[in-house]
Amino acid sequence: MKTKLMVSAIALASFGATNVWADTVRIAEHRQARIDALNAVVPMIEEQTGIDIEVIEYPGPDKEYISKLLTELRAGTGPDVFSLPSSGEIVDFSTAGYLVDVTAEVKGSDAWDNMFPIARELAETDGVIYTMPTMLAMQQFYFRNDVLTEAGVSTDQPADWDALINRAIEAKEKTGEYSLLMPMGVTWGGGTYIESFRLLLANSSTPELVTENGTFNLTSDGVREVFEFYQKMIEAEVVPVDPLLGPDPWVIPKYEMFPAGELLMTTCGSWCYIFDWGPESKNPIPDIENAVGTWKVPNVNGDAPSVLVNLNHPWMVSSSAVDIEASKKVLAAMGSIELMTSYAQKSGNLPSRADAIESDGFQQLTALVPLLDQLEDGRSVATAPGFSTVMEGIGRGSEALLLGNADAAGAQQILVDYVSNILGEDMVE
Amino acid sequence: MLVLPSAILLFAFVLYPSGVAIYTSMTNLSLTGPAALNPRFIGFDNYTKLFSDHTFWRSLVITFWFVLFSAIIGQLVLGLLSAILLKRQFALRPFFNAIILMPNAVPGVVAALMWSSMLASGEYGTLNKIVAWFGVDPQRWLVTFPLSMIIVVNIWRGIGFAMILMNSGLSAISEELYEAARMDGATTWQAFRKITLPLLVPTIFLYLLVSTVTTIAIFALIYALTRGGPAGATEIVGIYIYNQSFGSYQLGYGSAIAVVLLIFSLIIGTFYVRALKVEV
Amino acid sequence: MALSKTSTKAEAGRYGVLIVLSIYCLMPFVWLLVAAFDTNAGLFLETPDSVSLNNFYRVFAEEDGLRWLINSLIVCGGATLIVMLLSGFGGYALSRTNAWWKRPFLYSIILIRVIPPPALIVPLYQVMLALNNGMRWLVLQVVPREHMRDVMQIVGFIDGYLGLILLLATMHLPLALWIMKTYFDSVSPEYEEAAVMDGATFGQRLRRVLLPLAMPGLAASGLFAFIACWDDFLVPLTFVSSPELRMLPIGIFSAFLRANEIDYGLLAAIAIVYTAPAIIAFVLARRFLVQTFGGGLKG
Repeated sequence: MKTKLMVSAIALASFGATNVWADTVRIAEHRQARIDALNAVVPMIEEQTGIDIEVIEYPGPDKEYISKLLTELRAGTGPDVFSLPSSGEIVDFSTAGYLVDVTAEVKGSDAWDNMFPIARELAETDGVIYTMPTMLAMQQFYFRNDVLTEAGVSTDQPADWDALINRAIEAKEKTGEYSLLMPMGVTWGGGTYIESFRLLLANSSTPELVTENGTFNLTSDGVREVFEFYQKMIEAEVVPVDPLLGPDPWVIPKYEMFPAGELLMTTCGSWCYIFDWGPESKNPIPDIENAVGTWKVPNVNGDAPSVLVNLNHPWMVSSSAVDIEASKKVLAAMGSIELMTSYAQKSGNLPSRADAIESDGFQQLTALVPLLDQLEDGRSVATAPGFSTVMEGIGRGSEALLLGNADAAGAQQILVDYVSNILGEDMVE
Repeated sequence: MLVLPSAILLFAFVLYPSGVAIYTSMTNLSLTGPAALNPRFIGFDNYTKLFSDHTFWRSLVITFWFVLFSAIIGQLVLGLLSAILLKRQFALRPFFNAIILMPNAVPGVVAALMWSSMLASGEYGTLNKIVAWFGVDPQRWLVTFPLSMIIVVNIWRGIGFAMILMNSGLSAISEELYEAARMDGATTWQAFRKITLPLLVPTIFLYLLVSTVTTIAIFALIYALTRGGPAGATEIVGIYIYNQSFGSYQLGYGSAIAVVLLIFSLIIGTFYVRALKVEV
Repeated sequence: MALSKTSTKAEAGRYGVLIVLSIYCLMPFVWLLVAAFDTNAGLFLETPDSVSLNNFYRVFAEEDGLRWLINSLIVCGGATLIVMLLSGFGGYALSRTNAWWKRPFLYSIILIRVIPPPALIVPLYQVMLALNNGMRWLVLQVVPREHMRDVMQIVGFIDGYLGLILLLATMHLPLALWIMKTYFDSVSPEYEEAAVMDGATFGQRLRRVLLPLAMPGLAASGLFAFIACWDDFLVPLTFVSSPELRMLPIGIFSAFLRANEIDYGLLAAIAIVYTAPAIIAFVLARRFLVQTFGGGLKG
């Protein structure tokens, strides 16, 4: 027994012991398309930096991916360089001490000077940068232009939320198919917030969740309006509820129903043109540029619509990286035009560098090029420490709606209860 | 001296962690945010929170139903039934015996995979095809009846074990007793009630304790099949601890639940020792 | 029941019930077996267009199936050996001694056995973390830095073989100790005494008398430890991260989590590779089941 106590004592004493260097930097990546995109540019980065790179596959769903990362980062065994699905999680990681301040490296890279202003804005919090933004996710509504036109349903930009839901109801009546999907529930992970809730919230009467003093305003009108919109979708049976409750909820509606014309509108990002239904898809929609159109997200009161822009999988360096300097060097090299084009080709997100647009590789992605004009209308929603909890709470609230266990007010209450339970009453406005 | 290595391991990986659990449960340790870097000592706050957390109580209730229906009722009844039916020698006996034992050998993750196909929604799911013969519409088994379904799956996995134990209990009952009963003109059912059941009580009791303990500890099967969902409907207490700790990142709060579960288990264990009059 | 008059009606009833039970037990296996050989399998049970061993080939060629299998064997094999060794000696000592700590020790073993692993996973994670950092410090003293990562994969407590083996061995040690203690109780000390009279050393006694005597007990405790370890999912899920150390349950789970396109044929093939050793071990262990749970626990 004494031996074990001693080992524990030594262990505790050396808890903060510094790490060692190695000549290999391990990069975490998940999902086949993204792994392919990264592998395509790894030789280039290795050549540029003189550092060996190993790409390690992580679990596919974002929720499992983040859990795995966190347990490893805390143990100090994690990857050297990794990404997080959106900017929403960054602050929870940086305040936990898992991330290295890379302000100097990112600002010093030529990527930074060429970045879209919105990318720079999203990467910097209080003058500190923890991430190298590479891709931007631009999200809005995507609809089956061909099916709706044939059924005689208008494809004009809906003026407000009522117009949107009425359009969905009309489409369902005329075609008999499910007409509108927005990610909801727990199993979709962060997507329930990033690809769904956030879009509506940014265009509701109270477009922010975080107050000036860093607490969360979850009882706002905007939150209620979003849940009410969800409730209307479910009551009108325009949304396919079944798949949303299973594991991997996106597979059936997005990869099967939408290409088959059994689902007519959905929120999505630019990647849908490439990965979900485009050239990289297993179920490509022929002539996708004409068959699928986009609407900006309408405003609840009919004000100007907007698209939602977010950093997509920005890269960061782990504070327990074996060789922090080498990892920083790799990170800086990851801001290259080639990497962004490779990811655009495989996964369909937009480069965060304006000059990447000019590259041949990107210009060939004809479906993506016109989307770039909309970046100017891009909006985002601010985050604060504890945001992962808010995202989980939104998942739980919307899942109760899906199951018919709660109405909009009930769902909002679930969100408020969950967040105050986990973060404490004082974090909830 | 020969016991020392075992004692050291048990101390390092069971007793010491239990102590750590008690300490952690009094902090706000988290995997993310500032509380990951500098956890604060918060006394019994986690426990006060726990007692007013209705999802915790719900998970206790779910655990209770899960254990009651899958281990105590389902596995026992079907296990006893199979043991009785297979008691006598007949041609196909080894064949049936092997079939009923088979699910027992399947690892939890694989069982979850097999049943995710069985219970798949839509008209092509295997179970939906089967019930279609009886004119039942396709169901969303894991959505509409999640708890019942994991109970069905767990019964499936445990019949074999119950059968083996019951079998050994049955074979200890003297055949002469049945002879005598038959002489007195007792029916099969009377013989079962008056002879088999009373004499099986010790075996049943032993089985109940073993299976209660193992059923509470189930993790892989439920985690891989539902992760505790939908909406926490299959979140038995072990899954709840895992989800709170590694899904919501609240290690301190997760530890508080763990401590409660530890205490529960120790109560069951003490009961175990007492009731079985364990001789050491 | 044995008592019943063997009428045809009763026989028919017996077979009826047994057949229904068998369908319940067998049905889930059907999809797994079909899908594993179907070159184009899906989640639903369907007649395959073409049958081949392609899925199995891919488990080993495209995936790291062989590595997962070997890792599972190393970890569970290692844990089983430790369990057999410790429970053999420990059980012997517990059976023969009359020391004051015998009773409290045996009672605490029973209590430890009832603790559900999920209840300990968080504190275990912290303890393993501390041990891991301690080990890292030790390793740093003796090993050149560039080999650090490789060495830690072997002797580390998180994401290392040593930690996995020790932890899994410990989890299944209480049952094994109990089995062995009961077993030695039933072995008369006379054999040993005879050997002592013959002037045999402890080593000789161990090899010639105790080991052969203990074999059945050791086999039982080893098999149970192996089965439990093979089935374990929580420990590898929490403590394995690098692909080099991935074990079969995690291999399956991560193939299951290939969010976008799950390859069910591949998944079914891995599942069969994973299940086969478990079934073999179970068949071997079957005859010990009754005496272990029937007699063993009762003491």
